[in-house]
Amino acid sequence: MIKFILIVNKLGQTRLAQYYTTGLSINKRVALENEITRRCLSRKDKECSFLEFRDLKVIYRRYASLFFLVGVDEEENELGILEFIHCLVETLDRYFENVCELDLMFNIDKAYMILDEMALNGNIIETNKKNIIAPLHIIDQVSKKLK
Amino acid sequence: MSMQVRDLIKAVRGCKTQQKIREVITRESALIRNSFRKEDKINRPRNIYKLIYIHMLGFPSEFGQLECLKLIASPSYIGKRIGYLGLSILVKENQEVLFMSTNIIRNDLSSEDRYIVGLALAALGNIGSSEMLRDLAPEIEKLMESESSYLKKKATLVAIRTIRLVPESVDRFIGKVRTLIGEKNHGVVLTGLQLVLSIVKTEPETIVKFRKLVPGLVRMLKSLINSGYSSEYDFRGTADPFLQYNILRLLRYLGEGSKKSSKLMADILTQVGTSGGITKNVEIAILYEAVLTILSIESDSKLRVTAINTLSRFLSGRHNNSKYVALNTLLKAVNTEPKSLKRHRKVIVECLKDQDISIRRRALDLVFGIMDKQNVESLTQELLDCLPKAENEFRYDITAKICTAIEKFPPNDKWQIDTLIKVLTIGGQYIRDDVSSMMTSVIGRNPDLQYYTLKKLFNILLNDRYRNQTFLQVSSWVIGEYGDILMQKSEKDGELITTTQALDLFQILLESSRTTDGTKYYILTALIKFSTRIEGHDELIKKIIKPYREHVNVELQQRACEFFLLFDYSEIRDPILDRMPVFVEKEIELEIEEEISENNNKGINYNLQENTHTIQNQINNIQNIQNIPNVQNTQNTEMNELLMLNTDTKKTQTQNKQDSLNFLKEIFNGSSSSNTNNMNNMNNNVNNNMNNNGGQDLGLDLGLGLGLGLGLGMNNQSQRQNQNQNKMQMQKQQNQNQTINQNKNQNQNQRQVQNQSQNKSQNQNQNQNQNQSKVQNQPIIVYEKNGMKIEMNFKVGNIRGAPAVMSIIKTTNSSPLLISNYLLQVAVPKTLKAQLSQPSGQNIPPNGNGSINQQLQIIKMVNQKTQLAILLRINYVINGQKIVENKEVSNIPIIF
Repeated sequence: MIKFILIVNKLGQTRLAQYYTTGLSINKRVALENEITRRCLSRKDKECSFLEFRDLKVIYRRYASLFFLVGVDEEENELGILEFIHCLVETLDRYFENVCELDLMFNIDKAYMILDEMALNGNIIETNKKNIIAPLHIIDQVSKKLK
Repeated sequence: MSMQVRDLIKAVRGCKTQQKIREVITRESALIRNSFRKEDKINRPRNIYKLIYIHMLGFPSEFGQLECLKLIASPSYIGKRIGYLGLSILVKENQEVLFMSTNIIRNDLSSEDRYIVGLALAALGNIGSSEMLRDLAPEIEKLMESESSYLKKKATLVAIRTIRLVPESVDRFIGKVRTLIGEKNHGVVLTGLQLVLSIVKTEPETIVKFRKLVPGLVRMLKSLINSGYSSEYDFRGTADPFLQYNILRLLRYLGEGSKKSSKLMADILTQVGTSGGITKNVEIAILYEAVLTILSIESDSKLRVTAINTLSRFLSGRHNNSKYVALNTLLKAVNTEPKSLKRHRKVIVECLKDQDISIRRRALDLVFGIMDKQNVESLTQELLDCLPKAENEFRYDITAKICTAIEKFPPNDKWQIDTLIKVLTIGGQYIRDDVSSMMTSVIGRNPDLQYYTLKKLFNILLNDRYRNQTFLQVSSWVIGEYGDILMQKSEKDGELITTTQALDLFQILLESSRTTDGTKYYILTALIKFSTRIEGHDELIKKIIKPYREHVNVELQQRACEFFLLFDYSEIRDPILDRMPVFVEKEIELEIEEEISENNNKGINYNLQENTHTIQNQINNIQNIQNIPNVQNTQNTEMNELLMLNTDTKKTQTQNKQDSLNFLKEIFNGSSSSNTNNMNNMNNNVNNNMNNNGGQDLGLDLGLGLGLGLGLGMNNQSQRQNQNQNKMQMQKQQNQNQTINQNKNQNQNQRQVQNQSQNKSQNQNQNQNQNQSKVQNQPIIVYEKNGMKIEMNFKVGNIRGAPAVMSIIKTTNSSPLLISNYLLQVAVPKTLKAQLSQPSGQNIPPNGNGSINQQLQIIKMVNQKTQLAILLRINYVINGQKIVENKEVSNIPIIF
């Protein structure tokens, strides 16, 4: 089961955070993000994409200036999650057309929607990019009409 | 007027410092709050949007929670979308607001617009509380049968959350599984599989029922593998890897414990396990899941071997990620598949040289896991080879593993000694401390190898290449202890090792600034031992020791003083510095298993710091020889050492020796007189002694210092005082002994008789105490809940002269769930002082497979009878639930 999904830039600033666990206060959350990010950023390219953090496994992958981090429980397939991250990136890329950090910042609602289409409650629901983006396109069309 | 979202983000990005960001956010938060107060409907979505951003930056956003409710209640989709987003991000923890949203969500769930339903489901899936989900379960159930696969899959995931938070609702969803899995849409099937998994985990009895799904799942997996390229769910050339590995995972649960089901899936697993390539991460992910399934279910040995071979292929590949997962999986298989694992030794050893520390660390664990008597030599050599290249923190891990290997699987003693010396020289500063005791014990019990070892150590020292402190300490102890053997045999061999050479070496080491004080203790002790081993060098040794009588380090100073004085009392010196008896490990191990002795040993460790091991050995040795039944149960540790010393030297027959030794024993009797009520003349004398400013301490220190060649730290006394007191003390002792002798009986025989009777009475005391402790040894169950049981047993004894209770706390777990993050805290009345050791672990495996042990010492601080009462606070996590409980233990049958 996925416990959290984080997107941070290489300065360690959070750009998107979705938690599937409860019981984290703001302070604890910030501390957790800081520590995990720090540990991820300090790793070298040659090291593997996994790190153990408390009772979680954190799987991370870097795309240009953005780090995608996913925290999972003991049972989850680490390599599968790596694919999931890739799938997420491809989907964001398809929707935003060459996604970059600013796209995420200025369209955080869309980014969250894409994430919600892909995973819910810590489980993966959909990995087909077309199916994921379809509802977003509909919204975009409706908002265009309204304008 | 508050700004646009875009502008806020720009403003924050423009800030150079955290302080500036804080200012911008505070200002904006105030504006948003104002806008909320004015019920500004038009800007509400924008404000919530901004709050989401503010929340992500880690600033407070609670004041927007109710506004989210207003937004999701609004009719427009755009408003609802932002509202639900706000709800799932901002309101996560606030149960009340969540509960208020239940009815709005209920309405939205029955909306005609499937995207609105989708929003509501997504919010429920991410944040739904148990109350909400219980209320809305019928709606969720209905939506799982919806025509739209978009809603179906989301509703199924909400169902999974419902099962997790409201386990009793599981029956409601069991019936839905078959249709979900039969769907065409991969998203629905995927969620269906995850639903089965969560049902199976919540109610393990349902597994039997779900085993009927196995043929269908196998078919599905087969068609996925054989389908080749299918445009809809193709992912980097592989057909829906997510679905594939989820099927494999479910098969794992269904196949475990069922031969029939395992047989059904054997073919497809073989196909997956052998056909896939290992170049792409996608392929490896599926292979990895297949391997996990093969190893967990009841597969035949051939299939298992294939699985291990596959993992070994991962190891020789170039992906670090697959190496990591392979090593982790192999580690789990160490116990079940030892034979096939050992075949891949080479690849595993190769991973020790990987650039990634996490891979090296796992490889090290694995190397150790496959170690046995046959391969220990080559594997240890591999580990030794890695040692110089490794980074410091990793070196500790490597040396620890090597030492355990040396201890556990030695093919012969010579190898043991050679390897120990190698580890000491290469990685001495990164070594766990009991290695020195291991070394001394191996040397002690192998007279044939003593000369070999000594020569080796001495030559390394001479070449001066290795100056790590642990090595210096061990070698100086060994050379001091067996110096005579070295000199005699080297003379025969024509080797050029002379006593002066050795003494010079010691002097150089003592004077070197690179030698720590801790090492100098050892060297001084080695020097004084040398004086008894080889005759004719007293003056030189004295000359070397002399300057240290004024050394700034008190401990060093005291040793030098004591040792220097010893030259004047050569009749005491010889027996005191007599050779250590051979240390028999196995018996010690047995004794250590009797936990209480371990307990006491720990006590010694605290007191004597770096010298613990030698002392420990000595105590243990002597104990073995004298066959004293576990005296440690009842006596305090210092008394213990004295007692040991006493029995050790009792062997020596000279009258003078007897005197001095008896004196030590007298002190001991004196200090324990309150216990034993053994009042007699001698004790009176000693009691007087005790009244003399710190007399008892000094006596004890002196006793230890002389007897074991290792002094306890003195309390910041100046050197002169120290020396004087020592001298006075010595004289006093002798005087006392003489008077005692005269007063008592002048007849030596009678004296011996008396000694014996005293010993006897002591033994009786011990026996009594032991009996007593046996009675108290019955463990008391102090806590029993959730399958966790905490037992305590109690023993009355002494710690550093104060009455004390020692207790072992054992925690077991008979429930089927893992108990983690276990933490025990203890409180006692103010008149007592409690000391709790580190627990042996944090997690307790389920079904009674393991326990956590912890030792508790309670010392009485006030001189009055006290009824023992303990307050425990027990913290642990079971089934994801954090539990903290207080428990008072007052039914302990001990008054002390």
